[in-house]
Amino acid sequence: MGIKELLSQYGDQYIQALFTTWKLTAFSFAIAFVIGVAVTVMRISPVQPLRVFAEIYIQIFRNIPGASLLMLLVYALPYLDVLLSYFVCVLIAASLIPSAFCSEYLMAGINTIGTGQIEAARSLGLSFMQIIRRVVIPQALRSSVLPLTNLLVSTMLTTALASQVPMNPRDLTGLVAHINTHAVGGVTAFLISALLYCATAVVIGQVGNMIDRKVRILR
Amino acid sequence: MSDTMHETMNDRTPVIELKHVDKHFGSLHVLKDINLSVQKGEVVVIIGPSGSGKSTLCRTINRLETIDSGEILIEGTKMPQEGKELARLRAQIGMVFQSFNLFAHKTIIDNVILGPMDVLKKSKKEAKEEAMQLLSRVGVDSQANKVPAQLSGGQQQRVAIARALAMHPKAILFDEPTSALDPEMIGEVLDVMTKLAREGMTMLVVTHEMNFARRVASRVIFMDGGSIVEENTPEEFFNHPKSQRAQDFLNSIQAH
Repeated sequence: MGIKELLSQYGDQYIQALFTTWKLTAFSFAIAFVIGVAVTVMRISPVQPLRVFAEIYIQIFRNIPGASLLMLLVYALPYLDVLLSYFVCVLIAASLIPSAFCSEYLMAGINTIGTGQIEAARSLGLSFMQIIRRVVIPQALRSSVLPLTNLLVSTMLTTALASQVPMNPRDLTGLVAHINTHAVGGVTAFLISALLYCATAVVIGQVGNMIDRKVRILR
Repeated sequence: MSDTMHETMNDRTPVIELKHVDKHFGSLHVLKDINLSVQKGEVVVIIGPSGSGKSTLCRTINRLETIDSGEILIEGTKMPQEGKELARLRAQIGMVFQSFNLFAHKTIIDNVILGPMDVLKKSKKEAKEEAMQLLSRVGVDSQANKVPAQLSGGQQQRVAIARALAMHPKAILFDEPTSALDPEMIGEVLDVMTKLAREGMTMLVVTHEMNFARRVASRVIFMDGGSIVEENTPEEFFNHPKSQRAQDFLNSIQAH
């Protein structure tokens, strides 16, 4: 099947799949970001059980393959009487793994903050949470814009996990799998979705660079 | 009458008091039975060779360093281990660091208003007005909207002093405030500190600037090997040091 034929037959579905991928990416990244910040705060908190919990969390989700995690969610959770929709399963898998990386990037950002600034904040009488909110997180965020941009792209690629389950509506990779089981799309079917992934990634990268230039901290 | 009584009692309570303070870093005994009090309006200058424990001593006062035993009192209140009460007492003692430690992501004015807004709960407007006055007092008001990296070391240190002053502290600790500065900038920072001292600010200053100690100090404390070796007026200390260690120290720094 040629590109023209593919587009005329599946064009609408490609558009729909692109939106599904965008939606999954946006939700996953938002969740990953919130969890990432929370876990990072735990990692630097003075409460040891929180630090231990956060380290274990990071070790698990940084190291588990996305497909395994998705399979666990889809096939193991029902044994615990937890039945989630395929969309939610994909969303969770595509959130938890990036959340661990998000925390790693934020930690790297935090390590660029001198202990002196923390001591200065403490000597002003700021509480732990005030120091986190006013000094640590803003600086960590501003110095990790580029890694977080990369994380957004890799989160998008992680959402291709959706192709492993019969999710409806399909994401870009899921659609390719669908086309190739029903017709002979071949490499061309992959090519189209690859281009859509690429275009999205390029836009994300440009926006990330722009934000970075704007918020980067002079040192 | 009772008011006078009250006043007299208050006047005798030191702003900062250390009683039998001991501290170890591993096997190293960095502070040995330190007893020290700073009265209201006093400028106490701590000098001594590097590694003598003077910076550590300075940092224990607002508990940036913990102590093993003894106690530290701020206007008669014991410094607690942690929590809200510690933060409350810390807010009353300003600190100026060797490496300025301004918040890198905030403008100069925002550096100064953070404490007043978050800790003293002042309105942004009120905090800003006062911050501008303080910045002009230390001569960097024209830099208010820049970020720290755009300022010279001397300017950054003066901002750090303004940031400490914005909390209306009962005393300010200076931990080698000019040691990281280029020579031509040391004067501008010492001038601000001298002005503060003349205005009656209670100060504890760890420094290597002997001329500052001579001119401004109410008392000089000489430390060596974790102990206070000598404590005297600047005239007495610099002209007639009693201990051999102080004599050796003064000779070594005057040799060149």
